[in-house]
Amino acid sequence: MIKKVLLTIATILLCAFTLMAQRDMGGVKGTVVNRAGRIPVAHAVITLSQDGETVASGQSGEDGKFLFEGLLNGMYAMRVEAPGFVPSNVNVTVEGYVKDLIFVSLIAEQVVAEVDDSSFSEFDMDDSGYDDTPTILFGTNDPYNDIVSFGFSNIRFKNRGYTSESQDVYLAGVRMNDAVTGYSPYSLWSGLNEATRSKETTIGNETSDYGFGGYNGVTNIHATPSSVRRGWRFSALSNSALYRLRLMATYASGELDNGWSYAFNVSARVGGNDWVKGVYYRNFAYYAGVEKKFGDAHRLSLVTFAAPGQRGAQNASTQEVYDLMGDNMYNSNWGYQNGKVRNARVRKTFEPVTMLKYTATPNEDVEAAITVLWRTGKNGYTAMDWYDAADPRPDYYRNLPSYYWVENEDYDRLNKEKYYWAKDVWEHDLPEYTHLDWDRLYNVNYNSYDDFGRLRSKYVIEERRVDQNDLNINANVKGQLGRHVSMAGGLNFRINRTEYYKKVDDLLGGEYYLNIDSFAERDFASSPAMVQNDLDYFIAHGEAKALSRGDKYGYDYYAQIRNANAWAKVDLTFGGFKANLALEGGYTTFWRDGLVRKGLFAGLDDNGNEFSYNGQVLTTYEKVNGELKPITSKGRSEAPEFYTYSAKLGLQYQFTGGHRLYANAGYFNDAPTFSQAFISPRTRNSLVPNLETVKTASADINWQYSNNGYNIRLTGFWTKIMDQTDMMSFYDDSQNSFTNFAMSGIDQRHMGIELGFSIPFFVKNLSLQGALSWGEYIYTSTPRMTQTVDNSAEVIFDNQIVPYWAASPVFKTAMINGETVYQTDANGDYIVDRWQKHYVPSTPQLAGSLGLNYRTNSYWFFELEAQYFADSYLDMNPLYRTDMAVAGPDGITTPVEVDYMTAQERFDPVFLLNASVGKSWYIDRKYNFGFSLNLQNLTNNLGVKTGGYEQTRLIDSASMERYYRFDSKYFYMQGFNYMLNLYFRF
Amino acid sequence: MKKLYTILLTAALCASCEEFQPVFTLKPEAPEYQKPVEMEVNTTIAALKDMYVANGNKPITIEDDIIVGGQVTTSDKDGNLYKSFYIQDETAGIEVKVGKNGLYNEYKLGQWVYVKCEGLTVGDYNGMIQIGYSDPSGEYETSYIEHSAIINTHVFKGPYAEPVEPVVITEAELHDKVNLGRLVTIRDLKYDDHVFILAYVDPNGDRKDYTNNGIFIDEEGPDNYGVTTWACSEQKWVEYLENGNFDSVEVGSGTVADYRQEDGSYAIGSMAYAVSQYFRMGKTDVQVRTSGYARFSDTEIPQEVLDGTATVTLTGILTEYKGASQFTLIDLDGVITADGKPWYK
Repeated sequence: MIKKVLLTIATILLCAFTLMAQRDMGGVKGTVVNRAGRIPVAHAVITLSQDGETVASGQSGEDGKFLFEGLLNGMYAMRVEAPGFVPSNVNVTVEGYVKDLIFVSLIAEQVVAEVDDSSFSEFDMDDSGYDDTPTILFGTNDPYNDIVSFGFSNIRFKNRGYTSESQDVYLAGVRMNDAVTGYSPYSLWSGLNEATRSKETTIGNETSDYGFGGYNGVTNIHATPSSVRRGWRFSALSNSALYRLRLMATYASGELDNGWSYAFNVSARVGGNDWVKGVYYRNFAYYAGVEKKFGDAHRLSLVTFAAPGQRGAQNASTQEVYDLMGDNMYNSNWGYQNGKVRNARVRKTFEPVTMLKYTATPNEDVEAAITVLWRTGKNGYTAMDWYDAADPRPDYYRNLPSYYWVENEDYDRLNKEKYYWAKDVWEHDLPEYTHLDWDRLYNVNYNSYDDFGRLRSKYVIEERRVDQNDLNINANVKGQLGRHVSMAGGLNFRINRTEYYKKVDDLLGGEYYLNIDSFAERDFASSPAMVQNDLDYFIAHGEAKALSRGDKYGYDYYAQIRNANAWAKVDLTFGGFKANLALEGGYTTFWRDGLVRKGLFAGLDDNGNEFSYNGQVLTTYEKVNGELKPITSKGRSEAPEFYTYSAKLGLQYQFTGGHRLYANAGYFNDAPTFSQAFISPRTRNSLVPNLETVKTASADINWQYSNNGYNIRLTGFWTKIMDQTDMMSFYDDSQNSFTNFAMSGIDQRHMGIELGFSIPFFVKNLSLQGALSWGEYIYTSTPRMTQTVDNSAEVIFDNQIVPYWAASPVFKTAMINGETVYQTDANGDYIVDRWQKHYVPSTPQLAGSLGLNYRTNSYWFFELEAQYFADSYLDMNPLYRTDMAVAGPDGITTPVEVDYMTAQERFDPVFLLNASVGKSWYIDRKYNFGFSLNLQNLTNNLGVKTGGYEQTRLIDSASMERYYRFDSKYFYMQGFNYMLNLYFRF
Repeated sequence: MKKLYTILLTAALCASCEEFQPVFTLKPEAPEYQKPVEMEVNTTIAALKDMYVANGNKPITIEDDIIVGGQVTTSDKDGNLYKSFYIQDETAGIEVKVGKNGLYNEYKLGQWVYVKCEGLTVGDYNGMIQIGYSDPSGEYETSYIEHSAIINTHVFKGPYAEPVEPVVITEAELHDKVNLGRLVTIRDLKYDDHVFILAYVDPNGDRKDYTNNGIFIDEEGPDNYGVTTWACSEQKWVEYLENGNFDSVEVGSGTVADYRQEDGSYAIGSMAYAVSQYFRMGKTDVQVRTSGYARFSDTEIPQEVLDGTATVTLTGILTEYKGASQFTLIDLDGVITADGKPWYK
């Protein structure tokens, strides 16, 4: 048997005894594991001592194993220390042979881990084009991650400035990132904290045993029944920031003598919160798994879980609205219906995941697994929809004072009386104006008789559905080849079919709703065929479909995605030196499959002929690569194919004394996602021009020190992401129409340092801990954009640059007679003094935390943390960075316009204070009862912007010389909030 | 310990029962029907309009508690009216400029509407007296009653009633002030083969600066320039333009033809344009003015009418533009033959 154990044992003291008689000597071996999930703990420092004198010390290997030989018979005190774990003391008796302790389990030091990741805010801004999924780091016994993963989530911190898509999240070895968007799929198992607690995480460019990963770490959640912490566990959690109450129960059998293990985990999260009205949870979650071990070599597990439920969403508003309401937590999504709060934006999900995993361990050095995982179900998001009626949104810009009067007369908003009318209702918070007026909307529908005496709803609630069917087949193998080499690799196949459609969720008192496109009607009111959402139905029936509750309408298409990849890595170890090399190759293709024929883009009929109705030819054409092609909405689109390849290299040297120096580098080539690839997937099959793979080069260098209670990591990183595309749709006032905006060639660069530390601090059991993330995440390229009219696919701008995207010029000025004057050179041109960089938004580029942690031997812990966040920027809209928007209607660009239109907003720095306290009690060594109380934002700072976006709209000026921006919309962090968790386990 | 557990749990539940409501009730019950408003009218619409005249034909912001009432005579459903509707009592009709979309959803044909005029402004637009809000910009005599807070405190929805019967008027009555703003029927109009369109040149495609780029397609030119629809939507405009209909129209120092580009398109703004189609009632011109955003903008005027072999009888709102008679159709149901049959179905 080849020893997998890689010991760096210092046995200097033992050398003297090597000549002694064999039977007087023995040893001790075992595996250091995390009590939670029996995950091996690598690099645990093991010290054996007799009478207070160290006799031997060493470290556990990557697999947690350790071995000491040549020990004189006798009693030893064995101390096992690992960063992030409570040190363990065991008495060991050596009796002439190598005693196998089997497992030495460590308890995670992080009692704060009871404050678990369920508390991550789940915001959804997909409607606003604003991705606000927070990057979730997982506690990994890494001093930095431990602090950042929970402590920075409220500010919506994105690690290293990366988006959520860049973080690879695996479940039982299967990559779970959404096939269509790439988003991390955290919400699939939210509420199942116990079943998903056991996980492994790598950081940055590190490779994992489970998958190749990217540049933002890999997290693999084991999720098998045998990985769930054994025993019963109940918890009740109350928090004031998201939902009031969470109840959870878990049981895991552990591995029984007959080879079976089973586990379940159920939870409910319900209620509202202290800060945002209308936001509520009604979420449940279940997990059930069973596993059987056959002999020593085979293991089969079957798991199913889901987090069904619904929750009310929050919306961003402008500062004007927040100031009028005197509340930065104002939420425009709800209103009173019969005196009760009703939210129009509700996320409703039920997406069960089922997985079957077979693991083979033919010998100690090889492990292979095959997993089949299937995700299905429904994911809905409700919203108001209305037809030919007044906009019901309370914070619609025409309902605000600023629409009527602005001090600057060039806005041409001069009616101060109307301004006061509007201001008055907001300041007095009259709910029929400041919130949705359900009573009015119902009454419009109650009176909306059509020619046949039926009630045609003008306002309805629609449900936007994204229903996935995602099948993954994954094969993984890892093994040890000789003392120095280990290898891992895998194959993944993914078939995803996601159906996007809308359905009528509530007719709000009416009897039916018509399936016609009210946007198309703005432009084509006189053409009954062109306004049809379902032209085939219209032609067959002579009228648009009258929709009942539950009927599909609007759009309906499949996103079809096929993906295959293969990866392999090899690890080399020579003493303290380690190297690894990993390679990946992949193939991705996707296409849109339209299920309805839209009147605007009828395409060709089944015989390949042009479509016409009442003598009007409906078929329209667009130029694709210089060729005229019919624009289609029904049937299959072109299917672009992408071959990708990536490589990673890692080097590491483990010094004695707990120092580790390591570096990683990677080059990645990723296919664009479906969601970035279609110009207007709701309506047509047209692909974004210039679609290509995203290339990323990334490198990091790290130093880590773990010893004597010290745990420190310092990292420097550099990443360049190239050739990204982005798709958005918005109303463009300069065109008076709804437009699609495809931007390509977006490059960005992320560089910075990361520091995390936890160090003993004078008093016993007191430690000082901190984290710092200081970076520069910027845009580095001038992207190109193609803008088309949504209703006609007419090209407004074709492959034009977005000149002010990456930076805006700061012109040289001088003060002349107390006025700022832009200076010009000899030719009369304005002088650019410098270029102001534009930053990757919605995360602080400087984030720091410093805290004190005190824990007593009686299981109390106290923690106080101060946080500082700075240099967070607002998400930019590219329209404001085009020549067209900057120059204004007169087409003349002036420095004033450039300054005004292209600048990026930087949020004010933030200082926050948090505290935690907790205690565990053990009763009869069997029952464990405890609580933890976490208090966030102790100073009740209500002015902390966490994100937002620029609206894409423009205001004409009276002078016709320039445009003004619409106000930006923001999200704010909640003020003081608590989270109390009570748990009981046995 | 378990006591603490229970106490805290109960506290958490009860401290905030209100926020659990949406969780368990999910959907509140449907709201009740709103009852129509009853109001005491103290002034006739004619008297209100007279206040404008009495003010020296200048906009007047009403300071007294004047309440007028009338039945709704128009609908913006077909898009020929936009952000306003007309009400009429026995004395007169008047346009109420409520600046919202889809007004027909809330103000039904025939429904009584009461306008509490205090704080509103009565003003004129090229001969038509309207009720709106003051316009400090001075561009117009009134502005829209726009914000819901102003609408809800000034314009009240009364009881529903049968739609108002149109008054049949004679040629002589076309210029009676009392008929302006009223729902009327005018009989036996002959097509007069003239159009008026104010269009815009837009060589740089910015769709801006209309003031200096207006082109007038008017009755000075040949016939109706081949414009045979009630108005033209954006596509219809492009169709007419690319068909060469307006090539001879003067613009700047040249003609529209000068803006023709190699691919056959024109460097002239394409928008939906309102069209005034000229008809004759006896010896009086009546311009039937239709918005390019109306649903029936691209509907052809019946061929027989264009040929002059048939006449139309129209029902709609009689208006005036700088002394000339204009006519606003509400929908195509208001277009019938001389013997009372609908031209359109």
